[in-house]
Amino acid sequence: MKIVLQNLTKIFPSRNKKSGEEVVAVNNFNFEIPDGKLIGLLGPSGCGKSTTLYMISGLQKPSSGRIFFGDDDVTELSTENRGIGLVFQNYALYPHMTVKQNILFPLQNLKGKDKLTKEQMLDRAQEAARLVQIDQLLDRKPSELSGGQQQRVAIARALVKMPKVLLLDEPLSNLDARLRLQTREEIRRIQKETGITTVFVTHDQEEAMSISDMIVVMKLGVVQQIGKPQEVYDDPANLFVAKFLGTPPINVFRGSVRAGQLYLGEEAVLKVSGAPDGDVDVGIRPEGFLLDPQGPLSCSPLNVEVMGRDVSVVSTHPASENPMVRSIINADSGADISSGTVRYSIKPHKLFLFDRESGKRIPFEVKQHG
Amino acid sequence: MVESKQQWKAWLYLAPAIVLLMVFTVWPIVNTVRMSLLEGYSGLKAAGGATFQFGFGNFEKVIQYRRFVQCLRNTVLLCVWTVPISTFLALLIAVALNSIKPLQKALQTIFFLPYVTNSIAIGMVFAAMFNIVGSFYGTQNEIIVTAGIINNVIEFFGGKPVNWINYGSSYMANMTVMIVYIVWNALPFKILILLGGLQSINKQYYEAAKVDSAPRSRVFWRITVPLLSPMLAYVIITGFIGGFKEYTSIVGIFGEKMGPPDDAGRLNTMVGFIYDSLSANNQGRASAAALILFGIILVVTLINLQVSKKRVHY
Amino acid sequence: MTQKSMSVMHDRDLGKTSARQKAGKALVYFGIYAFLILMALIVLFPFYWMLISSVKSLEEYRLSTPTLWPRMILLGNYAEAFTTAALGRLFVNTLIVGVVSTILSLVITVLTAFAFARLEFKGKELLFAALLATMMIPGELFTITNYSTVTTFGWINTYTVLIVPFLVSVFYIYLLRQNFLQIPNELYLAAKVDGTSDWKYLWKVMVPLSLPTLISITILKMMGAWNSYIWPRLVANDEAHRLITNGLRNAFTDTTGDVNYPVQMAAVALVSLPLFLVFVFLRKYIMSGVSRSGIKG
Repeated sequence: MKIVLQNLTKIFPSRNKKSGEEVVAVNNFNFEIPDGKLIGLLGPSGCGKSTTLYMISGLQKPSSGRIFFGDDDVTELSTENRGIGLVFQNYALYPHMTVKQNILFPLQNLKGKDKLTKEQMLDRAQEAARLVQIDQLLDRKPSELSGGQQQRVAIARALVKMPKVLLLDEPLSNLDARLRLQTREEIRRIQKETGITTVFVTHDQEEAMSISDMIVVMKLGVVQQIGKPQEVYDDPANLFVAKFLGTPPINVFRGSVRAGQLYLGEEAVLKVSGAPDGDVDVGIRPEGFLLDPQGPLSCSPLNVEVMGRDVSVVSTHPASENPMVRSIINADSGADISSGTVRYSIKPHKLFLFDRESGKRIPFEVKQHG
Repeated sequence: MVESKQQWKAWLYLAPAIVLLMVFTVWPIVNTVRMSLLEGYSGLKAAGGATFQFGFGNFEKVIQYRRFVQCLRNTVLLCVWTVPISTFLALLIAVALNSIKPLQKALQTIFFLPYVTNSIAIGMVFAAMFNIVGSFYGTQNEIIVTAGIINNVIEFFGGKPVNWINYGSSYMANMTVMIVYIVWNALPFKILILLGGLQSINKQYYEAAKVDSAPRSRVFWRITVPLLSPMLAYVIITGFIGGFKEYTSIVGIFGEKMGPPDDAGRLNTMVGFIYDSLSANNQGRASAAALILFGIILVVTLINLQVSKKRVHY
Repeated sequence: MTQKSMSVMHDRDLGKTSARQKAGKALVYFGIYAFLILMALIVLFPFYWMLISSVKSLEEYRLSTPTLWPRMILLGNYAEAFTTAALGRLFVNTLIVGVVSTILSLVITVLTAFAFARLEFKGKELLFAALLATMMIPGELFTITNYSTVTTFGWINTYTVLIVPFLVSVFYIYLLRQNFLQIPNELYLAAKVDGTSDWKYLWKVMVPLSLPTLISITILKMMGAWNSYIWPRLVANDEAHRLITNGLRNAFTDTTGDVNYPVQMAAVALVSLPLFLVFVFLRKYIMSGVSRSGIKG
């Protein structure tokens, strides 16, 4: 089932009654989530991603805007009647019920024509438990399970009523690093197997990029960019998105465009056309540097960090906005920093220009060297 | 988090409690104040169409009433004796319990036992223990045999038997019995609270004191008591509140006469006075007395809180 | 003096003090146990005296040198006590009042605590503060008016009058609300997602999770019915509705003088027995409930 968010806005009244300042948690969110896809809502804390999820679930009502499941307007529909599954950050398993009772609970609440017989319920619960591989644990209480197992129970409970939409709120944040990798593959597998339209919220860009069909990057309630993970990475709409995606993060320099030349400080690094003259912020991905004795960019290296296949050269540059400039280069290309300077040429498609004021991408074309 | 526009739903959940509270709590507060301010108010007379003058007459009468002064004195005396004694004993027992391992659970259970008793029923046992068997409805010297176990014990140690609660007993003797009974009754709750407090004190303080080789008594006064002060304050405040409402324990020992056979009402308390006024259909006086009781409890609690604010160490 | 002999002396000194310390420590522990056991005996003595007196013959009870263990165990006292005080009827009355008022009170407490803990409505904080404030007021203040109120309602000498006026306990509401508040909000949201109504969530999730508190409330409430004296004496002191404590007091009006104490003690033992049984089996709940209350019964 596709989900359509139309001008979705959520305004919270101010906590402090006197100042009366309202908080706009989500601002005019428009998006059509295609059927059967896995969508990652990504952003730093307070960006409105959880609020968006809760509005889709019906646990919070939008201040304005509409939500459609397929062609049905569900904006006014209460959570109970939306037929969604939601996995909470801390799982929210009912502590007094066994795993089986927890999974059965949503089924026992079905009414009318959806009502199931006891056997049907048990079958469905078994099936859900098998899907997340906890069918051995059905008679345990949540307190007798590990964090990863509780997570699976929570997913089973969300899936058992065959929801039209599955929502996951920071599903991996309470797991340790190894379990996190494993579980995120698991979520991907389950989503593929069931084909349920799934939205999950995370602040971890790596997590979002690795399993999502599409990601939505949000900041302060405003959607910054929506797209396939690789597209968003390769073609960020603004400086925020460029900075938020990628580890190590993108390097930002103060630069300027003068007469078709891009300068970082006083060094002309690239011939560009189509960008107006003026000051710009320049983002260069760590993998966008090439060691080149004749390269236009010279940095003062501090040290080389070995990463196995690659090495990371940490250096400084007067025009850098961060204290360090970090480049990732193939270990075979032999980084030598003994001379006190290291020179790079830049891969043009890994370099982005942003407006100083608005942070918006400035499109440009690369002119041939010469 | 979940926003519900259905406020009326909440009121539906609250409805039974609110209706009952309106009738049996809110209205009585209003009405008691009203009745206390209508001089000589009586429900019976009011039903007969009598009207009453507005004023503080009830309060004046209550205070001037000799019986009320007697009740107030009994209540205050019982409080002043029983609260410190029971608190101190409970503290000793709790500290002792906290310092042992074997038998701790068993003893703790024993010390809690008096709590789960019916104070009228066990009062009757105390009466039997302090009694002198015989017939005394005639003259004072009619005692045939002495048999109450307390007097037996006193005689065993070579003392003279005391007429504790019977015909011709002294006020002092009566009060002693009441103090013993009330302390016995008050111990379990206080021990429970204080022991709970002791067990929540971080053991590290004691280990530190051991390293500093502080003597036991110093550890007790400088570490245990200050860290226990919130619980002590709680126990003392509730002790005073309970003490000012003392009534049934006296009924347990002396019966509804509230005193030895030859002096009924000698041991009556504030609460007893209120019920007597009510039984005499003098609601005005009863209301005034109840408000005075409330005032006293309020003042004593506030004083206690004020003192404990200075003394409670955290 | 050589270094060696010095160190030997030092060792001996240490040995001495530690032996003295050990002896001192043992003495302290002896003192603590002696004190505790003495106090325990004092606490237990009335129960012991009640039990042995209840099976003595009147003659044996009256001996000027009392026997510490009955010569002959006379269970007939219990039968006599049972009939003298009509304990059967009193037990039944108390049980009816106790059970009905406990059930109704639990329902009201659960509903009210739920509204205060979970639902949103205008004036919630204010109303709750007002409720808590009423806990300060001594019950006698309410009794005066409630007595006229129940008279007007025509409830005198009914079960209703023993049950209804005390159904709402602000303290129990407070206790349960605190418990409800500790249940994580996510469970409520999860239940919404799972398709539950507020009503079902309350009974399926919150109530089972608060079971210990509810059991504590049940026991305290039952004990309250068992021990209540003042109000029943005032409003329902007839044969048909009299409760156990009043019945006991009424049947044995004389506490001093020439009383048949063995029978009286048998009656007291019979009245105390149910409380002891409850205590033995549910000690944990009683103690945890009491430690949060400070109110007897």
